Amino acid sequence: MAILEIKDITSGYGEVQILWGSTMSLQEGKITSLVGANGAGKTTMLRTIMGLVKPKTGTITFEGKDVSQISAHVKAEMGLVLVPEGRQLFSDMSVEENLEMGAAPKRAKPRFDANIKRVFEIFPRLEERRRQKARTLSGGEQQMLAVARGIMSEPKVLMIDELSLGLAPVLVLDLFHTLQKLRGEGLTVLLVEQNVQMALAVSDYTYVLQHGKADLHGPSRDLVNDTHIRSAYLGM
Amino acid sequence: MCLSPSSQPSVEKIGSSLSKAVFRGGYMDILAFLTDGLLIGFVYGIAAMGLTLIWGVMNVINLSHGSIIALGMFALYFLFVSLGINPYIGVVLVAVLGLLLGMVIYAVAIHRVINAPHLSTLLATFAVNMIIIGLGTTAFSTSPRNVDFSLGSMSIGPVTILGTRAVAAIASVLITAALYYFLYRTTLGKYVRAVTDNRAAAELMGIPSARVLAFSFGLGTMLAAIAGGLIATFFPFTILSGTTYELKSFVIGVLGGVGNPLGALIGGLILGTFEGIIPYFLPTSWVPVLEFILFVVILLVRPTGLLGAKK
Repeated sequence: MAILEIKDITSGYGEVQILWGSTMSLQEGKITSLVGANGAGKTTMLRTIMGLVKPKTGTITFEGKDVSQISAHVKAEMGLVLVPEGRQLFSDMSVEENLEMGAAPKRAKPRFDANIKRVFEIFPRLEERRRQKARTLSGGEQQMLAVARGIMSEPKVLMIDELSLGLAPVLVLDLFHTLQKLRGEGLTVLLVEQNVQMALAVSDYTYVLQHGKADLHGPSRDLVNDTHIRSAYLGM
Repeated sequence: MCLSPSSQPSVEKIGSSLSKAVFRGGYMDILAFLTDGLLIGFVYGIAAMGLTLIWGVMNVINLSHGSIIALGMFALYFLFVSLGINPYIGVVLVAVLGLLLGMVIYAVAIHRVINAPHLSTLLATFAVNMIIIGLGTTAFSTSPRNVDFSLGSMSIGPVTILGTRAVAAIASVLITAALYYFLYRTTLGKYVRAVTDNRAAAELMGIPSARVLAFSFGLGTMLAAIAGGLIATFFPFTILSGTTYELKSFVIGVLGGVGNPLGALIGGLILGTFEGIIPYFLPTSWVPVLEFILFVVILLVRPTGLLGAKK
């Protein structure tokens, strides 16, 4: 069943249009990835889904409800959660406080204790550093905290922008395994990645964004063998 | 300009034992000057906290700060004179009114320009300032008022401490502590810090940032109104008196750094001490001159403030 449907979305900033009628559909309990070249509009897609940028035309349907014009904090309440590019942590707040802010949605509050326990199980390093300010963490720890903060929101759909950016490959693999584990628990994930090889390897379904449209898509294991994908994105 | 009506009382210390003191008084007198300045410094700190809180949270320089301080003075005055309410209960009511007024000002004048360049928010808050002063002048005229209230005084050696000033100083310390408690221990306070830190991320976490900004603005004006209310218990004032305290708040903000309540309090104490000591050596009309020389020097030497700043 599709939990999130994006239909014919056009969006951009002021005069600059970036998405030209993109259509995507996220299946519940699956990892979907969105790949594409630098500047293809992947981040704009996430910002539009989230409501940080309002779509000009088209519809976004979440759990059967039209959420196209709803603002970001309301969507977070509904369970649509974005881990933004560049982490966007609360740098002057402690690790624990960042996690607490993640649990701001009303539906996440009652599960706070269980969620923080789970997050510390997944990322024991964060527990060691719980009193430290976020700005004092290493890059990898900051990325862990960004993902952990997203999990604290009790998401139904977790969208992650550039999980792998600037991280050591070992850490990236670790984080991907974490996501696969969460998928096993029923979480729907939308992964936006520049690292196409990685994205195809961990996701169930992949959309390729080019020229503002996501017309090329299919099960990730099929796309790995697609000759166009192989030459354009995997350098083979 | 330097000698606006309101700056005179603050240095002449009407009603205090010091009004009889002349320049270059005895050696012991300096202690008296110092104590007086220090006690008022606490209240200056509260006023400055309001200004720097708003600046820290939303990068808005609130040019209506002074007129809200003046409104705090008038609110306390009318609660006391017309309704006979004890000034310290009055201050609590003034605080509530200040909070509500700030949220209204935010909704009406600030929110639509919050993402615009600084000039827009400066003009918006300046417009609010002019409206308050215009209405206030019509309603209250500009003749000085005085809250006729005394808690007596206490003498320790050469130092005479007025009860109202001592209470104002203690209240200021309690308010600072309460503000810290609010910002670091309550959920809403943490939301304020989160929005200060990264508004877009706060929005992504489901924090309604527009409402948090409105509340933060209200918190800033609340502190301004409280400072006004406390000052009214020992200085006479007019609707124009706020300007002086607004300017002092800027100096203190630079001294203490932005977005740091304790810094504002310490900055207030430094400025208060400064003000207490200058009249001992020089005519009181030098006070604002030296204050602003200090302001410029700190900006030149340490633009982030003496006690460090937000970024």
